[in-house]
Amino acid sequence: MADAPNPLARLAEVAREPREYIGRWRSAHPGQQVVGVLPMNFPREIAYAAGTLPVVVQDDRKPVTDGRSLLPEFYCGYTRNLADQAATGRFQGYDAVFMADHCIQLIGAADVMRAVLPDIPVFFGMLISSMSDTWAPAKIAEMMAEFRAEFESFTGHPVTDEALRSSIRRHNQDRQLIRRLFDERSSGRATFTPGQLQDIVGASMVMDPVEHHALLADAITQAREAPRDDRVRVHLSGHLCHAPKRELLDLIEDSGAVVVDDDLFHGRRYVSTDVDESGDPIEAIARWYARRNVNIPCPTRVQQDADWDAYLVGAVRSSGAEAVIHLLPKFCEPHMLYYPELRKGLDAAGIPQLLLETEHEGLPEESVRTRVETLVERTRRRRPVLT
Amino acid sequence: MVAIEDRSNRLSVTRAGGQLITDYWDNLFAAREQGKQIVWYNGGALNPIFQAAGLAWCHGEAFAARLAAQRLEGPAQLAGAEYGYNAELCSYARTHLGCAVLTLGGNDAHHLQGKEGEHSGVVGMNDSRELAARLPSPDFFVNNYAGCSTGQQWDGVSFRLFGKQLPIFNISHPFLWGNKPDAGYLRGEEWESASQYVAGQLRELISFLEAQTGRPFDYDALSEAMTYIKRAAELRREGLDLCKASPAPATFWDWIACVAPINFLPGDQRLVDYFADVRDEIATRLDAGISGVKDEKYRLYFDGIMNWNKLGFLSRKFAEHGAAVLCGRYIHNAFWQEPQLIDTTDPLLGMAQHYLLCPTNHGTKTLDYLTLKDCRDYDVDGIVFHSTRTCRAFTGPQRLLARSAQNELGIPSIFFEGDVADASFYKEEILESRLVAMLENIDVRRARGGQLAGAISP
Repeated sequence: MADAPNPLARLAEVAREPREYIGRWRSAHPGQQVVGVLPMNFPREIAYAAGTLPVVVQDDRKPVTDGRSLLPEFYCGYTRNLADQAATGRFQGYDAVFMADHCIQLIGAADVMRAVLPDIPVFFGMLISSMSDTWAPAKIAEMMAEFRAEFESFTGHPVTDEALRSSIRRHNQDRQLIRRLFDERSSGRATFTPGQLQDIVGASMVMDPVEHHALLADAITQAREAPRDDRVRVHLSGHLCHAPKRELLDLIEDSGAVVVDDDLFHGRRYVSTDVDESGDPIEAIARWYARRNVNIPCPTRVQQDADWDAYLVGAVRSSGAEAVIHLLPKFCEPHMLYYPELRKGLDAAGIPQLLLETEHEGLPEESVRTRVETLVERTRRRRPVLT
Repeated sequence: MVAIEDRSNRLSVTRAGGQLITDYWDNLFAAREQGKQIVWYNGGALNPIFQAAGLAWCHGEAFAARLAAQRLEGPAQLAGAEYGYNAELCSYARTHLGCAVLTLGGNDAHHLQGKEGEHSGVVGMNDSRELAARLPSPDFFVNNYAGCSTGQQWDGVSFRLFGKQLPIFNISHPFLWGNKPDAGYLRGEEWESASQYVAGQLRELISFLEAQTGRPFDYDALSEAMTYIKRAAELRREGLDLCKASPAPATFWDWIACVAPINFLPGDQRLVDYFADVRDEIATRLDAGISGVKDEKYRLYFDGIMNWNKLGFLSRKFAEHGAAVLCGRYIHNAFWQEPQLIDTTDPLLGMAQHYLLCPTNHGTKTLDYLTLKDCRDYDVDGIVFHSTRTCRAFTGPQRLLARSAQNELGIPSIFFEGDVADASFYKEEILESRLVAMLENIDVRRARGGQLAGAISP
């Protein structure tokens, strides 16, 4: 399948046009199903162990047309895009849709899918989001077991422990390789641009993890380390569920900033946590879900002892970032709710910050450039003067 | 300028409800002085449990709605905005969080907002902020939000706003997606298992409350409170059923005025008396041939949470066109709407089931069933969807419901923009022009003997 000019370009192709990859995968795997997975916490490991190709459905950046009459305009761009994909035949590559996250906007989009695609099962098993409850671990494990049973029913064959362990190993291996790139970047040895890293993560949400790992390993072999220059070092934060526009990432780096770390979903957040490879695999996947929110806390979860603000300050200290840019998708309620806590935490730590609201439709480039440049100037003035 | 005749004829008894509500809030504002512990909660009506535990309770959405209904929401929303809450965030949440910022007064939260609110330039702002700031600080939080994911996150943020110092208890509610073959309204394995799960959490809540109060929980007091509430809910249902008559003796707006009593007032004889009076006034009107709208011409369904700033205005507006708004998801599918589920000797399961029956906690399959049923039962001519700007939970399925009503029953619908607690989202001209257009459509349909306007004859 890897007939593209170079592995990095191939990964970018898959991330940007998943349908083409899905079509090829289908041809190579007759009789096996492709399932659309909605972000952010459905365990791909279980779906992959069942012999399906789990694809985290991406925002395909097309303008919302028919979807406008199915979801309100004040839903986030990603969910409106999902509704539009379903309404305009762009969901044809999927044999089923699986969802585990309690987000009311995502549920709205899934309800549209169920209405306009009556022949495709749309499964929703709600993972508990109140993570501090004493009964949370048992409920999470119970739901993970239900996912397994659902896949057994959907595919018509059992999902064995061995298949689950193998799937976990393969996903861990791929995650670890991706995570290495983020660790290297935050320690000052960047090999890939933010846009390239986003493509790498995005492709991993779509591809068979073994294939992705092989391609990425090739891409790393061919890549050259780019020494960090004098631009202002920034941490990108937020943008849950879907990727920010690549043009925005380029614009930020073209405005005097260099991205040294992030907690984006299409970034470090997605690969933050491995699944324990020992013991019962379903229990291990359940623990993965819980640990994920400790490693990089998410505003969609409620956990009293996991603080996104504290994480962010710690990440900034660790990477040497000088400023934070919050990327907030318009109408993302959990992010809107949590944002003042982030602002407060960063203010207390004396870290400059900028909030950029992103929209599905369009990117006001010059306005964003001016604002980023202002942040850069403001941050640069804080640097010690060398005599 | 020609004065427009007010053709609305609201129930007189709801004024008594207004007094009950005022008494309730006055008691809450004095709770600290009375030595009571105070719980802030959101979502389903946990008040009977708090009542039995001897607590004072404050429902966050209710307080935000009250401020909006009195047009006093501005200072809280300004304080929230200064603190960093985006105007597109649920206006219940940001009004309530704004109250928290004001309630916290001189501490960190206040310091962060820089006292800008005092220099906002808004005439009367400092006077009107008084009510918003009167909300007494909580001793702990309980979250009981079904359906909307923002609900749980909102209290999670309140917990943080208060410096992570206060205890918090969360009740999780599975969304009733309704995919399984046996799934349906009040039936199926999904319903049964979710009911047991939530009931189990209520038992955990009671243990939590015992720890907070230092007292054993009074189960007899809970049974007593739920006995009153069940009876009030039965009377409410009887009254709702009487409104199926044509012309209808009371309207949706009367029932909106009854939301607060059924949602958070104490379960006692006064509550039962109130709903008996509501039911009786409706029955008396029915006997006397008095309608809720003078010369009722159209019968409408209203979908959406109430636009609390506009209750009186909207009731007059629809009546002006001869439109009786009779039923709606917010009234008919919420607030102890299935009293037969409550076993007063052991009420926790029935209470859990009502929390799950929040009208935003169903997939569209079930909402289709409920909405179309009410449209048939009340002989509805059209649906008005309140496209509640900051409530993604209520608005999500509205487009699909409109499509079902059109396809299944041939009922037309319109959408208008507004919001629960932020008047700035209300668009008067849009509602007026669309309402007139729909009513004309209904006229044409009637003239054609039931055929939809615009339809081509075979």
